[in-house]
Amino acid sequence: MVSKVVFVKNKNGLHMRPAEVLVRLTSQFDSEITLSKDDIRINGKSILGVMSLAAENGSAITIEVAGSDEENAMKLLIEMFSKDLEV
Amino acid sequence: MTNPPITIKVLLDQTDLKLSSLTGEIGLSKKVTNAETNRPGLALSGFIERFSNNRVQVVGETEMTYLRSLMVKERSQALSLVFEKNIPCLVITKNMELPSELVGIAKKNETTVLRTSLNTDAFLHSLVEYLEPIFAPKTTIHGALVDVYGVGLLFTGRSGIGKSEAALDLVERGHRLVADDVVTAYRMRQGVLMGTSNSVTQHFMEIRGVGIIDVTTMFGIRSIRMRKRIEVVVNLEDWKDHGDYERTALDDKTTNLLDTELSYVRIPINPGKNLTVISEVVALRHLLKGVGVNPAAALNQRLLDTMKETERTKNRREDYE
Repeated sequence: MVSKVVFVKNKNGLHMRPAEVLVRLTSQFDSEITLSKDDIRINGKSILGVMSLAAENGSAITIEVAGSDEENAMKLLIEMFSKDLEV
Repeated sequence: MTNPPITIKVLLDQTDLKLSSLTGEIGLSKKVTNAETNRPGLALSGFIERFSNNRVQVVGETEMTYLRSLMVKERSQALSLVFEKNIPCLVITKNMELPSELVGIAKKNETTVLRTSLNTDAFLHSLVEYLEPIFAPKTTIHGALVDVYGVGLLFTGRSGIGKSEAALDLVERGHRLVADDVVTAYRMRQGVLMGTSNSVTQHFMEIRGVGIIDVTTMFGIRSIRMRKRIEVVVNLEDWKDHGDYERTALDDKTTNLLDTELSYVRIPINPGKNLTVISEVVALRHLLKGVGVNPAAALNQRLLDTMKETERTKNRREDYE
């Protein structure tokens, strides 16, 4: 299992459009992906789950990836969060 | 979403509790840290050992009668003893008159004194009812919670297996959606697990290929519920040829969530299987179990009786031969 904290970079926060892009990425991996913010933990492959975090601009999200392709998944997720999430 | 801290001000704002402050703004920023209450009778009488000072203190007629029976000096001492232990606040019930020193002592210890028009029992009940879900152990579950025939079914399983679609079909048939995808579960006092939706996503649902729908506007108020007790966990699984699936259910399987034991069912997903009717059967079976009916046990009993009868007849025939 690999874990990393990333920060939301989007002036409107992690709203539906970036959430969809994020979920399209996470759904490609075999590994289980969990995102958490404060005390909510959600399945990273669920778009409603991601939106329920209500992750505002600058907020911290912990990514946990567990599975056969965890290294690659984490790398791509970190890369996604390093850019502005607005696509 | 993290709950904001529960300050005395927040309590004051709960209209159901019918509270008013007798100490102005003093102590309103103090926090309530649990859902427990305490009647400080013993502490007021001087026995301060094991005094639950971290709970909301509630003073009813008994305590008030005792306080009024004391001389002014004794009463001040008794009240100071309690207030000096740093209590969150003190509530007087039934709109009772206060002993005159009370407000002064409270203010000195920067603690709020509240008064409610409710009687003690009613107030205790309402306060705990309000505080309990806030301080209850909680977790978020990835699944769909549906009220089927009054039974809370929590569908779990990997992303994409069809939890939302199962919930949607059940809604079509008149059952009620509590939450999809993000279920917030919290444990009530008596080992009861309640489930509710996330405040942001509420009764929205994602259907692969269709997108986001709002069940409330699409199906109406009778298709949703705000909260429901979680009673059966229905785990949807990819069908495995030699999967070890339940064949009889002579004994019930259970699972544990947040320290609560729940009935547990594993349903293999295969095209052609009507998950909706299977879910309804799961709920109905749970209801029957509640009134002591177990179809597997009933069938087994018939079988045992039949075999016993055959054996008996056979023995009797042998007697004649």
